Amino acid sequence: MTSTTTTPVRARALRGTLRTIGRIAGTIWSNPRARIGVVLLALFIITATFAPWLAPYGASQDGFERSAGGSAAHWLGTTAAGEDVLSQIIWGARVSVFVGFAAGAIATVIAVLIGLSWGYSRGFGGDVVGFIVNLFLVIPGLPLMIVIASYLQNGGIVMIIAVIVVTGWAWGARVLRSQTQTLRSRDFVTAARFAGDSSFRIIFREILPNMTSLITGSFFGAATAAILAEAGLEFLGLGDPTTVSWGTMLFWAQNSNALLTGQWLLLFAPGLCIALLATSLTLINFGVDGISNPRLREGKGR
Amino acid sequence: MTTNTTPARGAEEPILRVENLTVEYRSEGFEPVAAVKNVSFSLRRGEFIGLVGESGSGKSTLGFALTRLAKPPATIVDGKILFHGSDIRTLDDEALRKQRRGGFAMVLQSGMNALNPVRTIRKHFHDIFRAHGHVEAGSFNARASELVRKVELPETVLDRYPGELSGGMRQRVSIALALSLEPELLVFDEPTTALDVLVQHAVMDTIRQLQASEGFTAILISHDLGIVLESTERVLVMHDGVVVEDGPSHQILDDPQAEYTRMLLSHYADPRAEEIHIPGFSTRGRSADAARAERATTSPRSDARAARRADASIVVEGVSKVYAPPRRGEAPVVAVDNVSFTLAPGESLALVGQSGSGKSTIAKLVTGAEKPSSGLVRFGDSNLSALRRRELRELRKNVQMVFQDPYAALNPLHTVEYTLLRPILNFTERRGEAARERMLELLETVGLTPAETFAQKLPHQLSGGQRQRVVIARALASDPQVLVADEPVSMLDVSLRAGVLGLLEDLREQWGVSMLYITHDLLSARLVTDRMMVLNSGRVVESGPTADVLRNPSDEYTIRLLDAVPNPARARETR
Repeated sequence: MTSTTTTPVRARALRGTLRTIGRIAGTIWSNPRARIGVVLLALFIITATFAPWLAPYGASQDGFERSAGGSAAHWLGTTAAGEDVLSQIIWGARVSVFVGFAAGAIATVIAVLIGLSWGYSRGFGGDVVGFIVNLFLVIPGLPLMIVIASYLQNGGIVMIIAVIVVTGWAWGARVLRSQTQTLRSRDFVTAARFAGDSSFRIIFREILPNMTSLITGSFFGAATAAILAEAGLEFLGLGDPTTVSWGTMLFWAQNSNALLTGQWLLLFAPGLCIALLATSLTLINFGVDGISNPRLREGKGR
Repeated sequence: MTTNTTPARGAEEPILRVENLTVEYRSEGFEPVAAVKNVSFSLRRGEFIGLVGESGSGKSTLGFALTRLAKPPATIVDGKILFHGSDIRTLDDEALRKQRRGGFAMVLQSGMNALNPVRTIRKHFHDIFRAHGHVEAGSFNARASELVRKVELPETVLDRYPGELSGGMRQRVSIALALSLEPELLVFDEPTTALDVLVQHAVMDTIRQLQASEGFTAILISHDLGIVLESTERVLVMHDGVVVEDGPSHQILDDPQAEYTRMLLSHYADPRAEEIHIPGFSTRGRSADAARAERATTSPRSDARAARRADASIVVEGVSKVYAPPRRGEAPVVAVDNVSFTLAPGESLALVGQSGSGKSTIAKLVTGAEKPSSGLVRFGDSNLSALRRRELRELRKNVQMVFQDPYAALNPLHTVEYTLLRPILNFTERRGEAARERMLELLETVGLTPAETFAQKLPHQLSGGQRQRVVIARALASDPQVLVADEPVSMLDVSLRAGVLGLLEDLREQWGVSMLYITHDLLSARLVTDRMMVLNSGRVVESGPTADVLRNPSDEYTIRLLDAVPNPARARETR
């Protein structure tokens, strides 16, 4: 292929991809509920990105008055170790957002790869994959996470992400596989086979783009689950307790009996943040339904 | 509403009067689209009228509006629908529900899928009786049996589940359900379109007889002018939301006024006729047919044609295909039973039969998608059952397929350019600009000009006929020797059919492509094929030159297929 002809082809492909992304964003934005979710999520992402400038103190900076209530210097008070709660909340957003998106993305990529090839192939290979996926589906997730996490003691954020991915990909793979099986028998897939396309190409250029909304939905679902799982594991003390995240804040607050000492904000603030972040992703998912199915776009009289 | 079993025929007051009705589709962010524009007509009691138009003409929208089933985004923006003199637009939900019994009812195209799969047919009837309370509790079963007999079904279907009935039986059940409400006005929306040819014929017979015996007023909505003219007394022809012609059936047939009606009529012909005239085709007569076949099979016109291998025939020898029984303990399904034929280069062969006759299975065997249980399928000197992956690729290069449904055969997310470039890059040596040139050339071959413009379009920006042309262009991209066309025009409007068929015909003559044409539509088979094989339950019941088979059918099954062809001209004879 000469470069003169590939350039316009590439440029066109790029334009097409940009247009698709624009269309997806537009569809999500047009849904009022999803719009609230997008705004909420944007707030969290901005907070996480600009934490060094937004936070009044360092994340682990201690030496303030211990277990103090809210004041002008410490809006949300201080912890039992003498750290500023507001600063910890702002810094902690980084961990939650990062773990949520990273673990969600990795789990989705695995789900897409396995779900699509599993759904497309017929025969023995499919049965083997099916057995493995079913195995991961029937193992109770939380105990498995706890077992793996305590085995890899204090592995930090990377370990948490790994644990979440291992326990979180199977459901998405199952859903994507059913959709692939439906699309596999469509005429345009048969036609691509007649046009001489390889299975690889058929899966990724013919079938995959028709599942955009399912994959996007699956990503936001996995990210939500990851955020909750991360908080849960750290609350149980299975993460690295020296990192500052909403989960470890809950862990330390519980350890210092914050409720008994009347410092309910120590539990309430990170808890609310976790809930709001998870809610924002769930709200966005309402808008995702409309991407590939125009009937689900919300409007008057429908 | 007292009794309506014996309506006074020809009463002065029209049962339904529609005045200046306009229906628009209104979606947020789009300009409203008027689907029905300023339509007025009235309907006498006991009249049976037809509503004809091609897809997008607004006929179904009108039908839905008349029965108050129109849902957003369809909105009635103007006009009146007077049923017994009162405007049904103003009815509230409860009044509308009461009106459903003894008032107006509708039988849908997919009505056979409207049955609840986990309830028996009997329960469907009981639900309706209970909801409207017009049948005494003690006589539920008696009434249900009576209704089922009316649509010519055995009483035993009452205890079956919808999944156990065939499509035709289910459609009959949904007609019986509509009748159970003793409607005065019954709207049939394409009641037989989703059914098989022979079944279609039988269900239409039942509808006609019921209308005569029960005396309800009926509107038959259909895209098929033949069916409508055969059945109804008066026909409304719709085009672009406007009623372009409204007159008695015989007048529409003999002396159509509107240009559009004349165009629709011109696409009907009796496949048995000595000579056939269809716009866009040269006259098909006996001598012309022979000359055409001669041209296509012997005298190459293009270079591509001359370069073809002479031995590239498809040979099918004593092939059977048996599928495993659907349930344990049942007999295996014999889809194809000892079929033999040869498709010579440049020849065009029709495979005709109703669904389940095995014609699509033969297509799968010929394209290598399935392997025969016994017998041999050969292309040139290669045996199709023993192909490796690479040889299968070689076969795909030479044997291509045109799909039935142009709406499903194109990936909605790819441009025409992408779709056409794939087989060019996969099967030919052309790359880059040369491949693009070939792509544009293909678009011109199938008549999509200006090619540059069409290349950039996505499937949803094309009409059904244009999509089917893209599908054909894709099949031609590898310069195949054989085209397998599986009902290539059955999803298209009549006015578009001739164009696509003409294209297939030209390709055969100019490129020397041989064609296996699979269809239940005998007229189109007459137009584009030289030879014909009639299949029934997997066996060949008749074969020979197309015109001979159609003009002098010897098998009873062929005769039944011929009788089921909707034909406006025959309507005149029977009237």
